[in-house]
Amino acid sequence: MGIVFTRLFSSLFGNREARILVLGLDNAGKTTILYRLQMGEVVSTIPTIGFNVETVQYNNIKFQVWDLGGQTSIRPYWRCYFPNTQAIIYVVDSSDTDRLVTAKEEFHAILEEDELKGAVVLVYANKQDLPGALDDAAITESLELHKIKSRQWAIFKTSAIKGEGLFEGLDWLSNTLKSGSS
Amino acid sequence: MSAGHGDTGASATMAKLKELLHRSENRICADCSAPDPKWASANIGVFICVKCSGVHRSLGTHISKVLSATLDKWTENEVESMIEVGGNSNANSIYEAFLPEGYQKPHPDSSPEEREKFIRLKYELQEFLKPSLRIVSHQTSDSGKHAGGASHSDGSKSEIGMIEFIGILNVKVIGGTNLAIRDMSSSDPYVVLTLGHQKAQTSVIKGNLNPVWNEELKLSVPRQYGPLKLQVFDHDMVSKDDLMGEAEIDLQTMINAAAAFGDPELLGDIQIGRWLKSDDNALVRDSAAVVAGGKVKQGVGLKLQHTESGELELEMEWMPLNM
Repeated sequence: MGIVFTRLFSSLFGNREARILVLGLDNAGKTTILYRLQMGEVVSTIPTIGFNVETVQYNNIKFQVWDLGGQTSIRPYWRCYFPNTQAIIYVVDSSDTDRLVTAKEEFHAILEEDELKGAVVLVYANKQDLPGALDDAAITESLELHKIKSRQWAIFKTSAIKGEGLFEGLDWLSNTLKSGSS
Repeated sequence: MSAGHGDTGASATMAKLKELLHRSENRICADCSAPDPKWASANIGVFICVKCSGVHRSLGTHISKVLSATLDKWTENEVESMIEVGGNSNANSIYEAFLPEGYQKPHPDSSPEEREKFIRLKYELQEFLKPSLRIVSHQTSDSGKHAGGASHSDGSKSEIGMIEFIGILNVKVIGGTNLAIRDMSSSDPYVVLTLGHQKAQTSVIKGNLNPVWNEELKLSVPRQYGPLKLQVFDHDMVSKDDLMGEAEIDLQTMINAAAAFGDPELLGDIQIGRWLKSDDNALVRDSAAVVAGGKVKQGVGLKLQHTESGELELEMEWMPLNM
């Protein structure tokens, strides 16, 4: 790996650091995912009225992961955290079918934000452990992911409780960020 | 899309919910009796504390749909079904009808594990329900058995590192006067507000030393907060934007006074606090925190620091989140 490439690389990713926002409706599982990634265990959570931020080192990238509260009246404040974000992890409760329309609307509102134009999108179809959870194909359709233009995205079936799918998603994310074609 | 600005129908709906919440029976959590619950299971019809809401959320929405009575927008149907259940006493007379004599319900300081065990027994397995009313399928009772399996045994893990918001600060940047010149004969000013990790900024007004913005910027305020930092910059197309002055705004006066006075909707128009002009701050004049029309507000006039000239007018509004 030549010196030119190394330099380019560190300038692109601020010494291989990436700022990630974890967004999604309330009770999608954002905080549980954050701590599953960071500590490798399931923690008992309460609703996040504010945010959690942790550093997760994975595949030679230091992810600074921001988990922002999802209650209706605090969603408008997500935008305070948008600048300099390389990736969005959007978390959906795949078993909460009543609110998939709301989840879709919030999702597409985020994608329209100027400050997130360059961010890649990773969708976690979470809570696969619960009865009645829709699979990744159904969530793809519900969120209308095919409408995403000029941006890299991927969706993974996850269960934060069982620890399934999360790191597969992070693999995709680190490869996508490293290839620099975001 | 922000809180509390819905149409009149939506605010009437929320008023109904508030009325139900304020009934004496609903002043303690239905599950652990903690005072002043602010959360609810909308489908079960109980008001619960934030800690129990954490357990309810982990059950899945097919068992309990958790909403905040203060932070979420409720539909009319959701509120009507809460009213239909009729509050915590009615709900508990059903869900705890067959609570064994001497059974210890969780208390406000119970561990997450104790809470989870009780809440799963009560709502998921419906152990204390009149037997004829139970509608539990085998599948859900099976998942109920892993209580404690999911969470590890060393307690006190909730709230790990959470930066909790205590409220929303709405800052209306009204305008500036006599701002400093950074270009040939004028400047293209804009205002940046910084609070902790957050930044918000106004639009750029071209070639104006007495700009009028009348723009509202919103910031969330964490429990540990410092002063609000204000900076005015001159926008430059080619080079780095130049600083046209800055100032710090003390938020404690307004936030502490609001906490001391309680729900502003119950107060008439009064002054609740005052931030005094001194040599140590950038105030142009004393700044009063007031309740006006049920809202906590504070007008601030600032003399910009580290610059030749310029003053700035703001109006702040404080919306506590009442956790």
